[in-house]
Amino acid sequence: MIYVKDLSKSFGDNQVISHIDAHIEPGEKVVIVGPSGSGKSTFLRCLNLLEQPDRGTITFDGEEITSSSVDINKVRRHMGMVFQHFNLFANLTVKKNIMLAPVQLKIMSKAEAEEEAMRLLKLVNLEDKADVYPVQLSGGQKQRIAIVRSLAMNPKVMLFDEPTSALDPEMVGEVLELMKQLARDGMTMVVVTHEMGFAREVGTRVIFMDEGVIKEENTPREFFENPRDPRLKDFLSKIL
Amino acid sequence: MEAWLENLRKGFYQTFILKDNYMYFVKGIRITLLVTVLALILGVVLGVLVAIIRSAHDQQPVKKRGIVLRILNVICKVYLTVIRGTPMMVQLLIMWFVIWAGARATDGNLIRCAVISFGINSGAYVAEIVRSGIMSIDKGQMEAGRSLGLNYVSTMRFVIIPQAFKNVLPALGNELITLLKETSIVTVIGLKDLTKGAMIVQANTYQAFVPFIAIALIYLLLVLLLSWLLGKMERRLRQSDIR
Repeated sequence: MIYVKDLSKSFGDNQVISHIDAHIEPGEKVVIVGPSGSGKSTFLRCLNLLEQPDRGTITFDGEEITSSSVDINKVRRHMGMVFQHFNLFANLTVKKNIMLAPVQLKIMSKAEAEEEAMRLLKLVNLEDKADVYPVQLSGGQKQRIAIVRSLAMNPKVMLFDEPTSALDPEMVGEVLELMKQLARDGMTMVVVTHEMGFAREVGTRVIFMDEGVIKEENTPREFFENPRDPRLKDFLSKIL
Repeated sequence: MEAWLENLRKGFYQTFILKDNYMYFVKGIRITLLVTVLALILGVVLGVLVAIIRSAHDQQPVKKRGIVLRILNVICKVYLTVIRGTPMMVQLLIMWFVIWAGARATDGNLIRCAVISFGINSGAYVAEIVRSGIMSIDKGQMEAGRSLGLNYVSTMRFVIIPQAFKNVLPALGNELITLLKETSIVTVIGLKDLTKGAMIVQANTYQAFVPFIAIALIYLLLVLLLSWLLGKMERRLRQSDIR
């Protein structure tokens, strides 16, 4: 579904990711872990071109999205993204947050979008929050709404950029639960996270990134029980 | 004391009642407000446009900046530099005596000239105010919009500008108040605004105290009224911040 070839990106003199090749199959749940500064977030953000790669190609659904003739806005409709800091639109109510993109992009009529928004809110048990502003919500509620906001666009793949890192510990569970539910429903997911439990339980493949390259990738079982790369062994010993 | 009160009474009579002089003030207020409101509208439209161009240019990665955007950005920068670098009165004089040199001094022409001059001037200040508002919005808001497939302009329009506008409302209010008071310099091209009205009355009656104190109070009242309206508007826009 997503083919990444020879992807590199630097900020100034700082080479953040270098020559990455990767392939994400439909239905896969790829979990990317690694120490901070390893380039995992940048890699994820390159996938929907929130960061412009310096070199390399990304092919999504048979279309080379790094080519300059591609309308990236059209591509992004099919790639949902969830951010560490939720990024709900602060000036819009919860319902309007969900409705904005489908209505403005003329994918749904206003009435359809409203119905869809209410359906999605019911899915996460937040239908009573439809008309409040994001500032009145807890972190966990914000993140669950951010997730369903992406779902309203009916994406083919969902990218998660440390979705639980900014949450209070007691709210992590509700967000992970929703992500597990998504995984069970067959969504293709790429998740950057520090939640090793989630990686083990939900991931179909775990990738370890360090210093801008993929050091190791494997099934969760092998990854956690039989790490080979010395940096990974060190990393796992520190966090497990 | 007696004599002073008597003088004041006479001043009052000559300033307002004699020969219907109060009409100078009434008409003056109307013109002052008209020029202020129209210039404000022009200024905000110009300012928002310039602010969007400037921040679009600054937020875009260097190699993605199109040639059109670069040219527009340079034009905007020149505009900001020239307008903010020269006195308002000089701009007004140039607009009327140089650019509109052939125009007859009718009220209509003078008002048009004043509105355009003040609008262009105000636009430069509004542009920087709005730009500071746009810059103050967390870049995650833009990223969230773009990640959903909305383009730059739509995200600006539905997400960034509404939030930016709310944040800069106090500064915009300041600009509006400054604009209202600054319109008094249209006297130099002969437009009969509130200040010119008082000057005409002074010339006719040799009274200075009452007409000038009167217009000072009128300006003050207008500003108070504006501040009150702005406060109301701000409270309404703050709705999304109430926890």
